[in-house]
Amino acid sequence: MPLLDLRGVTKDYKLGKTVVHALRGLDLRIEKGEIVAIMGPSGSGKSTLMHILGCLDVPTSGEASIEESQISSLSEKQLVELRGHKIGFVFQTFNLMQTLSAQQNVELPMIFQGMKKKERAQRATELLTMVGLADRVNHRPNELSGGERQRVAIARALANDPEILFADEPTGNLDSESGGTILELLKRLSTEYGKTVIIVTHDPDAAAIAERIIHLHDGRVVEEVKNA
Amino acid sequence: MLKDFFMLAARSITHRRMRSWLTVIGVFIGITAVVALISVGLGLNKTVEQQVAGVFGVDTFVLVPKGSFGPQRHAGGSSDQYALDLEFLKSIPGVKVAAAVRQRTGFVQGPTKADGTSTQGFLPVMGLSTELVNEFESFTGKLTVQPGGRLFLPEDKDVAVLGADTAERLEAKVGDTLLIAGDANKELNLTVVGIMAPNDEEASTGSSGGFSAGMQPAQSKDTIYVPYDTMSLLWGEASDVLVTLVRTQPGADVDEVADRVEKELNARGSEVSSITYSDISDAIGTMTTTVSAFLAGIAGIALLVGAVGVMNTMFTSVLERTKEIGVMKAVGARNSHILTIFLIESGLMGFVGGVVGTLAGLGLSALASMFIGRFFGVQMAVVASPALILITLAGSFLLGAFAGLWPAWRASKLPVVDALRYE
Repeated sequence: MPLLDLRGVTKDYKLGKTVVHALRGLDLRIEKGEIVAIMGPSGSGKSTLMHILGCLDVPTSGEASIEESQISSLSEKQLVELRGHKIGFVFQTFNLMQTLSAQQNVELPMIFQGMKKKERAQRATELLTMVGLADRVNHRPNELSGGERQRVAIARALANDPEILFADEPTGNLDSESGGTILELLKRLSTEYGKTVIIVTHDPDAAAIAERIIHLHDGRVVEEVKNA
Repeated sequence: MLKDFFMLAARSITHRRMRSWLTVIGVFIGITAVVALISVGLGLNKTVEQQVAGVFGVDTFVLVPKGSFGPQRHAGGSSDQYALDLEFLKSIPGVKVAAAVRQRTGFVQGPTKADGTSTQGFLPVMGLSTELVNEFESFTGKLTVQPGGRLFLPEDKDVAVLGADTAERLEAKVGDTLLIAGDANKELNLTVVGIMAPNDEEASTGSSGGFSAGMQPAQSKDTIYVPYDTMSLLWGEASDVLVTLVRTQPGADVDEVADRVEKELNARGSEVSSITYSDISDAIGTMTTTVSAFLAGIAGIALLVGAVGVMNTMFTSVLERTKEIGVMKAVGARNSHILTIFLIESGLMGFVGGVVGTLAGLGLSALASMFIGRFFGVQMAVVASPALILITLAGSFLLGAFAGLWPAWRASKLPVVDALRYE
C-alpha cells in the first residue's frame, strides 16, 4: 500500500468567470521513505499537487489518499490533525515568523499540538543541532543567512516528527553552496531518518537527489524518471 | 498553550510598535474620559454622602411636612408647617431625643426707652427645643450669642434670644424685657438672655453642613427665639412646626423607628414625613448615578472611536500577516488557535490602553478634585476603588477583544492555500 496514492485527481479553480484546470486526471503513487522530485514548467500544477498531497487542499474529483485516509472525505479538523502530525512543509521563502527566535520558530508547530514548554524546548534544540544551528538558537530570522533560515525552516518542519516532508523550491532563494547544504540535509532525512521527502522544484540539482523524478505538464504526469 | 498565544500576540504588538501605540492612544483617550468621569461622579457622591452623614450621623432622622421631600414634593397640597405632639413623639419606643422648631409671627413690643416710648411691630418668633442646641448642633450649625448673653437652659420659660438685627431694631440688650402677644389675648413678658452673634464669615461658612431650616443666625437676624414650651403659652398646641429632629435609642434601626414614628404621628393628625440618612443617601445616589451614567455615556463615544481604531489596526494586521496565518495553519494551527491569537492581540492593545487610561483618568480626577477644592471650597474625595480599576482593566481587554473579533474571525477562516499564496 503506497503512502500517498492519487487516482484520476482533478483540481479546478475559478478565477473570476474563468475556470482553471490545474490538475487534469492525475495518477501518482509515492512509497514510504522515497525521495521524489516533482518538476514541470510554471502552471503545470506542481504547487496544486503539493497542496493536495500535503492536505492543504482537497481535489475537485478523483481519489487522493494518505495511507488509508481519503483526503476528500476528511473534515477540516482531521486535515489539520494530519498536517500537524504526519506532514512537514519547507517553503521557498522560508516563511519564518520574524518576531520569533530560531528556537521559537521551531517550537511553533509543537505549541499548536499542546506540547509542554520544557519538552518542546529540548526538541527544538535537538532539531536545530541536527541541522547544524546549535549556536544560532536565539537568533531571529533577520540575523540569519538564507541557508540558515532554510535550515531553521527544515527543523520546524520536523518539529512534530512527520512521516512526510514537502519542500517547495527549497533551494530557490539560495546560492549554490547553501542550496547544496539544504539538499544534503533533505537526503539525510530520507536515508538516515526514513522520512518521505517530496521536493517540488525547477532546480536540476535538487531533482538529482531524488530517487524518482515526476514531470508534470498541464496538470498531468507526462514522464516519470528513476534516478540511478 | 494560552500563555504561548499571549507571547505570540505580544511579539506581534511590539513588532509593530508605532501602529500599536497609536491604536493604544485611541483606546486610552476613551478610557481616560470614562474613568475620570466615573471617578469624579463617585467622588462627588461620596463627598455629598459624607457631608450628609456628618449632619445626620447614623441614628438621626428628620420630620418634615408631608410631601416636602421625595417624588411627591411638587404634588401640591403640602403645607410648610405641621401639627406635632412633641411629648407623644418622645414617648414612642426607639426615640431617645426629639427636638422641634415652631414658627409664628407675633406682635412684639420692645423695652421702654429713656423717652418713655418703645418700638413695636410684627416679627417672626421661633420656638426652639433646648435639645436642639445641645444635641443637634450638626444640624443647626454653631449657634453663638454675643458676649454677656447665653442660649436657653432647660428650665427657661419667660426668656428670649434675639437675632442681631432684631436687637438693634428694638434697641434691646441682655436683661431687657419684651412683650410678645400670641393668640386670643395671650401675652408674655420675656427677658432677653442673649443676642445672636452677627453674621460673620465663620457663622456663614463654618456651619455649611447644617440643616438650617431657618435656624441659623446668619439667616435669621430678624427673628426672636423663645423656648419651645413658651410657644405653647402664646399660641397653644403646636400646629406650626417647621422641622423636628429625632435621635434614636442606641442599637435601634433608624429606618424602622422613623417609619413607626411617621405612622403613629400621621394617625394622630400630624402631616409628617420622615427623612433618614438612607433616604437622603438614596436620593443623592440616584441623582449622581444618573449624572455619572450620562457623562460616562458621552465618554463612551470616545471609547467607541478607540474600539474602531483597534478594529482597523487588526484588519490591517490580518491583511499584512495573511501569509503568516497560512504558515501557522500549514504547521498545524487550528482555526480556533488563529482566532485566539488575534483576539488576545486586540485584547492586549485594549488592556494597555486601559492601564494607561485608568492611570490618566485617576490623575485627571485628582486634578478635578484639587480644582474643586481650590475654587469651590469643597474637599472632594478621589475614588479609586479596586472594583473600578479591575472592571476598567477587564472591560478594556474585552473591548479590545470585541473590536478585534471580526478581523480575528476573518483571519481564522482564511483558506490555507489562499493564505500561503498571498503576496
